[in-house]
Amino acid sequence: MSLVTGPGRASISASSLPTELQLSIAAHVKYIQTLDKRKDELEYHLTEHLRINGIYWGLCALHLLGHPEALDRDQVVDFVLSCQHENGGFGAAPGHDAHLLYTVSAVQVLALCDAMETLDERGKGDRSSLPGSTSSESGILGVGRYLAGLQNRRTGTFAGDEWGEEDTRFLYAGMLALSLLNKLHLVDVDLAVDHIISCANFDGGYGASPGAESHAMQVLVCLAALSVLGRLDAVSDKEKLGVWLSERQVDGGGLNGRPEKLEDVCYSWWVAASLSIIGKLHWIDEEKLTRYILECQDPEQGGIADRPGDMVDVFHTHFGIAGLSLLGYPDLVQVDAA
Amino acid sequence: MGRYEGNPVWDDVVPIPQEEGEGALAQIAYTDEYVEAMGYLRAVMAAKEHSPRVLDLTEHVISLNAAHYTVWLYRASTILALDIPIDKELEWMNEVALENQKNYQIWTHRQTLIDHIFPTLSSDPAAAQAFADAESAFMAEMFEEDAKNYHVWGHRQYIVRKFNLFDSDAELKSIEALLHEDVRNNSAWSHRFFLVFSNPAYTTAGSRATEHDPKIPDAMIDRELAFAQAAAHEAPQNQSAWEYIRGVLRKGGRELATLEGFAGEFVRIPEGGEEDIRSSHALDFLADAWSEKGELDKADMALRLLGEKYDRIRKNYWDWKRGLLRGAKV
Repeated sequence: MSLVTGPGRASISASSLPTELQLSIAAHVKYIQTLDKRKDELEYHLTEHLRINGIYWGLCALHLLGHPEALDRDQVVDFVLSCQHENGGFGAAPGHDAHLLYTVSAVQVLALCDAMETLDERGKGDRSSLPGSTSSESGILGVGRYLAGLQNRRTGTFAGDEWGEEDTRFLYAGMLALSLLNKLHLVDVDLAVDHIISCANFDGGYGASPGAESHAMQVLVCLAALSVLGRLDAVSDKEKLGVWLSERQVDGGGLNGRPEKLEDVCYSWWVAASLSIIGKLHWIDEEKLTRYILECQDPEQGGIADRPGDMVDVFHTHFGIAGLSLLGYPDLVQVDAA
Repeated sequence: MGRYEGNPVWDDVVPIPQEEGEGALAQIAYTDEYVEAMGYLRAVMAAKEHSPRVLDLTEHVISLNAAHYTVWLYRASTILALDIPIDKELEWMNEVALENQKNYQIWTHRQTLIDHIFPTLSSDPAAAQAFADAESAFMAEMFEEDAKNYHVWGHRQYIVRKFNLFDSDAELKSIEALLHEDVRNNSAWSHRFFLVFSNPAYTTAGSRATEHDPKIPDAMIDRELAFAQAAAHEAPQNQSAWEYIRGVLRKGGRELATLEGFAGEFVRIPEGGEEDIRSSHALDFLADAWSEKGELDKADMALRLLGEKYDRIRKNYWDWKRGLLRGAKV
């Protein structure tokens, strides 16, 4: 899946939209389908390090749009499995090193494709059964072991790869994938929860590491991780967090990620999903946000941009549609914030 | 004939082509230059070669695609294996970072190398100081491009912790300079809070950012409040300064009501007349201060004004807070 921008461009002003604000579902489906037919463009190879993420974003958007069949399932599964390494992890594309983020995207795509059994049969890594277990070899266990090996057993957080860059994004991603694989017992959950608590800031938000500035995307990964782990009780002051999140809405209806930053469609997901997890989505003006996301779509050629007038891409298409789904937009499959 | 093929320096290396995955999803049209360089990179990686020419090759690949994480990892391991001084590498990295503002691999690379030389560096205080100063100067240059770059601020905290700069006057001064330039720079406010309230010299180890810390001297709380109050006067509608004030009060275990007079300077609500509100954050602050003191009718009036007039986009939130007050009254 290419992350190449365009060809569409988001409509410039709300006045150019049809009188009744409509999500152009057919155009978005077509946009995602044709993304991969643009391999001759330079940008395609520059975004190769995100290939498997691109597939996830596109496929997830298609599921929310109610058209999961628009990409060939078997082809997607074969491609994802071709990105796997002997150590059980996945790279961004064949021949790229394994990394936690790509492994998580791979697991998410396989889960969306209902291909966990295929992974169990064909997956690599340390497939040997656990001591004392009667079950046979398992590819799911191979991936689970790879992910669990990236947890720092001193701090509870996760590294992205063997070099140890750590970030709460990795913690959430790792936990999410382990939960999809049903292998959370391979890691230290309590230590991870403690780490998230230590990333809480004085303003109510969460940062990438203890002491780092609050950032809406980091807030979501912390909350979603706690939600996956069933430990939302660890959020000490939900009101303060809800206030900080709701203050992300700007007059135009869109959301930013930090105070005094520009609004961007991807925050429609990170902020709104966070508010939804703590049950405070109604603290923002949902109608205004819906209108803002729709202003960022290209109704003719499909795709959604970061803000009105900019070039569309699959990343913002995914987060825009996920945001609309969360806001209860009609005709979309309802999404779970975590 | 490319940059490597036919080049005597690379004569002994047989490039390894990319294995083409099956199916349409995997085939990608690269430029010839990139394909050739990657073929040689795969070959040296397979042979686990760590040599000066590998540094040239990885630099070339990074110039073509700085987001390719594999090449960064291999470059770092080559530098560590050769155990060469990292001055030149830092200089080169500064340029790459300035050209690639959103790249994050470069910061991991930088910290891997700093961790590597730190044991030697820390045995010579003057050298360590000079190194930390150079890092600060580089980050100042990065902040000129984007004073809110999340990666650079992350690196700044890494440097403060690594070189224990919590008590450094220069560090505090440089944050003040950034806030002087843009008093709404939330990243700078956030770093100031980290610097002041995680200083191991006078804070309780492990105290959370959201907790009262009785060990912090009163004078420090007073100093930080005065700083943030002056900033709020400069830009009354600046959310960052008001959040900071609330954060400092909490650290100091003080009630909001202790600053009721200060917040009142931004809010005039005459009996029966038109109110004059210079900051919705001040009104919000007063609502909480009044509610803390049990003056619930006044608090309710402030919340009503916020929802109906001064922060209408969040009306549901203000209504919810009014509901809590009514619950408290019963």
